[in-house]
Amino acid sequence: MKKLYLPLMFLAIASACLGQPKRKAPKFNSTKPNGQNQFLDKQWWLGFKAGTNLSQADVMKRYTILTPTNYGSNQIDKTYDAFNVFGIVTSVEASFSYKGFSFSLQPTYRSSHFTYSNQLRWFSTTNNNESLTQNFSQEQKIEFAEIPFLIKYDVYGDRLRPFVQVGIYYSMLINAVKTVQVSGTDIASGGTNQLSTEPVIVGTKDLFTNNWGLIGGFGVTYQTGNVRWILDATYRMGMSNIVNTKNRFANDRLSGIGDAQDDLKLNNIVITAGVLFPLRFLSNDFKSN
Amino acid sequence: MKNLTYIALALVICSSCANESSPDIDKANFVRIYDNNKFSASYFPIDIKQTPDGGYLILGGRRIADPTSPNAQYYSGTYLLKTDNLGAIVLEKEVATDIVNPIGPLLEVNSKYYFFSMEPKNIQTQLSEVDPSGTINKTTLVGGSYPAAAYNDNGNFVLLRYDDFSKQSVVTLVSPSGNSINSKGFSVGAGDGVEKPIVEHFLRTGRQFPFQVGKTLSGQYFFSGFYNYTFSLVFTNLTANNPQGVVQGNQDDGGFSCVMPLDGNRYAGARFSYGDNYLMPNITLTGTGITSSVDLEGNNLLELAPNATVKMLTATINGKDCILYGSNTRGKQIGLYGYNKADGKFIGSRYLGFSNPFEIAAFTTTSDGGLAVCGTTFIAGRFPRICLFKISKEELSKSFQ
Repeated sequence: MKKLYLPLMFLAIASACLGQPKRKAPKFNSTKPNGQNQFLDKQWWLGFKAGTNLSQADVMKRYTILTPTNYGSNQIDKTYDAFNVFGIVTSVEASFSYKGFSFSLQPTYRSSHFTYSNQLRWFSTTNNNESLTQNFSQEQKIEFAEIPFLIKYDVYGDRLRPFVQVGIYYSMLINAVKTVQVSGTDIASGGTNQLSTEPVIVGTKDLFTNNWGLIGGFGVTYQTGNVRWILDATYRMGMSNIVNTKNRFANDRLSGIGDAQDDLKLNNIVITAGVLFPLRFLSNDFKSN
Repeated sequence: MKNLTYIALALVICSSCANESSPDIDKANFVRIYDNNKFSASYFPIDIKQTPDGGYLILGGRRIADPTSPNAQYYSGTYLLKTDNLGAIVLEKEVATDIVNPIGPLLEVNSKYYFFSMEPKNIQTQLSEVDPSGTINKTTLVGGSYPAAAYNDNGNFVLLRYDDFSKQSVVTLVSPSGNSINSKGFSVGAGDGVEKPIVEHFLRTGRQFPFQVGKTLSGQYFFSGFYNYTFSLVFTNLTANNPQGVVQGNQDDGGFSCVMPLDGNRYAGARFSYGDNYLMPNITLTGTGITSSVDLEGNNLLELAPNATVKMLTATINGKDCILYGSNTRGKQIGLYGYNKADGKFIGSRYLGFSNPFEIAAFTTTSDGGLAVCGTTFIAGRFPRICLFKISKEELSKSFQ
């Protein structure tokens, strides 16, 4: 699926370029309203963006397989890291702008990563040499095909146009993979034995599902010729559980080591940069500076 | 305004797609591993029953580190675990060391659960009554040594034990109050050679034999245990001094792993023979004469561990009566194998556990049409702990079609 996005983006760019042969962009940078600019207040834009994202898993409800009988369950709680691993974002943006407002649909591929860890320890109160500590570090990668719908507002309009945006998105699960690294210290073997295993990579698509959320952000466009360069940042707040609750314990590899998927919402900071192409011009009178 | 309506509509649609957890989902499927962080702690389950509140009562054994009773350290202690319907602990108890060597199954009579065990000083059999909350109400001395297996015979209990004084496998009918109603003993054979593996079984220093006792549909009692130097399936009416029928094993290298009457003379069973394991979902046993288990045809499951523990029950899956086997694979997983009860046709399998070793102890059908499988896992590859798998009716339907 991921491989399809690059050709699709290329086709989108190519079609946008081929759709406007030898045409020049109108003057968007005029500060004085005129008939042409009034017309250009209505415009379709098509382009693509790419960038990165950072994720935060927001725990809704904790689940555990390992159930302590003689110690507190908080001792084995997972500790989630926030916004610490970069993921990839690529989007095709189709926008209709009207008098400073833009209504934008941005089909997106997003790979999000989040990490968490926990520790288990077994020991003797009478013999210090009887002790084993195990550390579990887990990195979850989830790929989504997203359909965000955004409303943008240009704060002021000139060649450089800052804007703010709000919207909603729906994420469709493409794939998920978890990497588990187990390490530890065993001092019951006659010495200090540092344990480390090769990471175990487990397919976890069954553990997750489609979800939705809200978007807020800001950005800026810069006009050169007919095209607009865009740089924007959004915060995507997950509003629904990304976990497939029916399959929480379905993965034997993970349940075997005591890992059950908590209920999670996924929040993201997404930063992208790209280029937008206008889709219509009235005449050759519209020339860019 | 129109746009706002669309946005509101989108929000409503998205909200309806919410994938929230619910108690119904949480109790339908779960996995639990009950961990104690003591380095030397060791637990193993023996049997599991679903209690009327939807929770689970697990009878287990434990390593005795600090015996308070004489000789207790030579045997396994008793451990009781009561969970709610989500598998969360309600009560767990390391029972005092005057109750050792507990055996299954948990025998349910009038909403009370009973299990046989041994008192360690004189190795005499005793019977404990447990309420559904996991609390032992009373323990009664039954007498006789080394309890090995039990069966619930319509409110009375059939007990198989090894009498080390008379060197006999003894079948006794016991009331819930602990009184012996009827009893019959069968010689295991003369000499120490035949007794050695039996005693090692009870001390857990040797191989664990699949002792079993039960009753046929025609009213005969049977036991799978040592008789005449051989681990055999023996049929008795508890009156005649000699067995009415014997299906011989092969000394301690062959015999029945488990057996269950189906209808008439039809049985489902499993047998072991020099390490191999055969699942036999459709065999005929007459309960008379002398035959050999080696002659019984079955499915040789090479993936099973040598002389594997095999458990068996009947269940209704997808509206069909099935026989489910649970056993241990060489890959250290718990394997579940399903067969049609009517004709013994294979209908599917499912494997539980990975990463660490898992071994089955017992399983039971649940009130929601699912299955609860209780076993031992070795956390970090070394610490024996009790694990509980709950499989929903829907998951069972997918696995066994």
